[in-house]
Amino acid sequence: MNTTIFSYDWSYLLPEFTVLGFATLVSLLDLFLGKRISKTALAWIALLGVVLAGVFVVGNMQALTEPIQYMNDMMRVDDYGNAFKLLFLTGVAFTILISMGYMQQGEVKDTGEYYYLILSGLLGAMVMASSADLITLFVGLELLSLSSYILVGLRKKSLNSNEAAFKYVVSGSLATAFTLFGMSYVYGLTGTTNLYQITERLAEAYSTGFGFMVLLSFVFLIAGLAFKISAAPNHMWAPDVYQGAPTPIASFLTVVSKAAGFALILRVLFTAYRGVMDQQMQASVFEELLWFISIIAAISMIIGNTMAMRQTNIKRMMAYSGIAQAGYLLVPFAAISQFFFQQTVFYLFAYLLASFGAFAIIMVVTQDQKTEDLKAFAGLYHRAPLTAVAMTIFMLSLAGLPVSAGFFGKFFIIWSSILHANYWLAGIMIGTSIISYYYYFGVIRQMYMRTGDTEAKLRLPIGVGVVVLVCSLGTLVFGAVPDWGIQFIQAQLDPNFTFADMFTPGK
Amino acid sequence: MTVTLSSYLLVALILFCVGLYGALRKRNAIIVLLSIELMLNAVNINLVAFSKFGLNAAVTGQIFTLFTMTVAAAEVAVGIAILLAMFRNRDSIHVDEMDSMKR
Repeated sequence: MNTTIFSYDWSYLLPEFTVLGFATLVSLLDLFLGKRISKTALAWIALLGVVLAGVFVVGNMQALTEPIQYMNDMMRVDDYGNAFKLLFLTGVAFTILISMGYMQQGEVKDTGEYYYLILSGLLGAMVMASSADLITLFVGLELLSLSSYILVGLRKKSLNSNEAAFKYVVSGSLATAFTLFGMSYVYGLTGTTNLYQITERLAEAYSTGFGFMVLLSFVFLIAGLAFKISAAPNHMWAPDVYQGAPTPIASFLTVVSKAAGFALILRVLFTAYRGVMDQQMQASVFEELLWFISIIAAISMIIGNTMAMRQTNIKRMMAYSGIAQAGYLLVPFAAISQFFFQQTVFYLFAYLLASFGAFAIIMVVTQDQKTEDLKAFAGLYHRAPLTAVAMTIFMLSLAGLPVSAGFFGKFFIIWSSILHANYWLAGIMIGTSIISYYYYFGVIRQMYMRTGDTEAKLRLPIGVGVVVLVCSLGTLVFGAVPDWGIQFIQAQLDPNFTFADMFTPGK
Repeated sequence: MTVTLSSYLLVALILFCVGLYGALRKRNAIIVLLSIELMLNAVNINLVAFSKFGLNAAVTGQIFTLFTMTVAAAEVAVGIAILLAMFRNRDSIHVDEMDSMKR
């Protein structure tokens, strides 16, 4: 049958079209509204677009019975992608809410650009989660990267911001070059960019004597993609970029950009390299390839947690903490169990709540004290008791202590890697977690036990207050009753939800 | 005389390494951006060579190249724009002077 562009049911791509439409709308409004009119309404328009896209994603989840594909899996809509899309949309909604408070300070002049670049970055992230073709995945990756390069540098008068943006561009482009070099070898071995055909042909290529090239492509891909999740060989950009970037953008990079990187890595590695067997067709080479990843995970955890102890700048500390968290998230790769995706997504979700809450409070406190030093938190408990308690909850969740979502996220990961007899990695994870208590509790110590320069009350702006409230409630609920929370959400969204549909070519 | 696939791959690999060296070693930020372009062009050579001589030769590689070139151009444009903003704040584009953030 002759398929044309009109023979697809495009309604499943409504979330992407919505985000694209609103990004265009915001950029046009920014252009035509003129200089004198206040642009604060643009934030609400962008937020409306994100919420609307979220509603469409939920609708898709309920309507979907099997994966839908467009143009030979160039775009596809499946449960795996939808789960990640919900994560991105929640993250971006929080970013916009925090940004409303940030904009009042007036350091970023280009309000319109700020919001539509966030939306186009979101679109890139969504494409990364919903494609099974190397070309589309690459374009999505670059859309996200280019938007975030500019967002980091939007404080044009600040030298730190310029520097951070340039460092981000250079290390990002290097990572892109590595990724692309890996992809070009994959393409050369298979002659296709479709991930499902790559699965078969890569296995074929490996067994017909191109084993070295297959390994080479894997190493290049991992080295390049580690950049997006700020994992070990490519993590050096994170502290500088977080320090120079506007704080809401730092939180966007921590969560949305990192989650998008994970969505891409999981999809590419698990579909492309899954079928690779050794010469005698006996054992799977894939398990051996995963050794690379466990080494990366171990190095990330060690570097992230030990370097974070030395930091006095709160944003740099959060950056190193983010490197360590990327390491924790890579641990389940090394021991793949049937709950692998659940663990990863649950951890990402817990991480999202804790990071956004923490960054929201960090933004308010650093703006108030005019310094990003840890001492800015001194005596916060006496100035704003509830805020200090919320910050304590987020720090506990990031550290992975009980009655917080982060505890269960970490617990699941450690437990399953012990079950798979992966003792050394579990050991490193537990050891470095204990080290991490030192710097997370450093913040708590400042808030409760030190006296600050001022006793004046600190009030949170409305948007920031909403984010802090939602994040702390979510962290507590998922920390107290994780099973109930997950099952409730699953029953509301999609009873037949399965991550395994990532492996079935769409229809 | 025909040129074999391996010579194309070798050229691409050398170009990639030259680019990597330049990106890591050069002081001038413009040269750094140019070196990154070299690395991306190495990828293009790979893709086009594979689309003619690869295991399953197909035209997809050339399409991929078009996307790579477009994105590379966009990336450098953003890089230059950021560099200009920095040049206005401090009259220097030397990479080794970008050290205002430490510890």
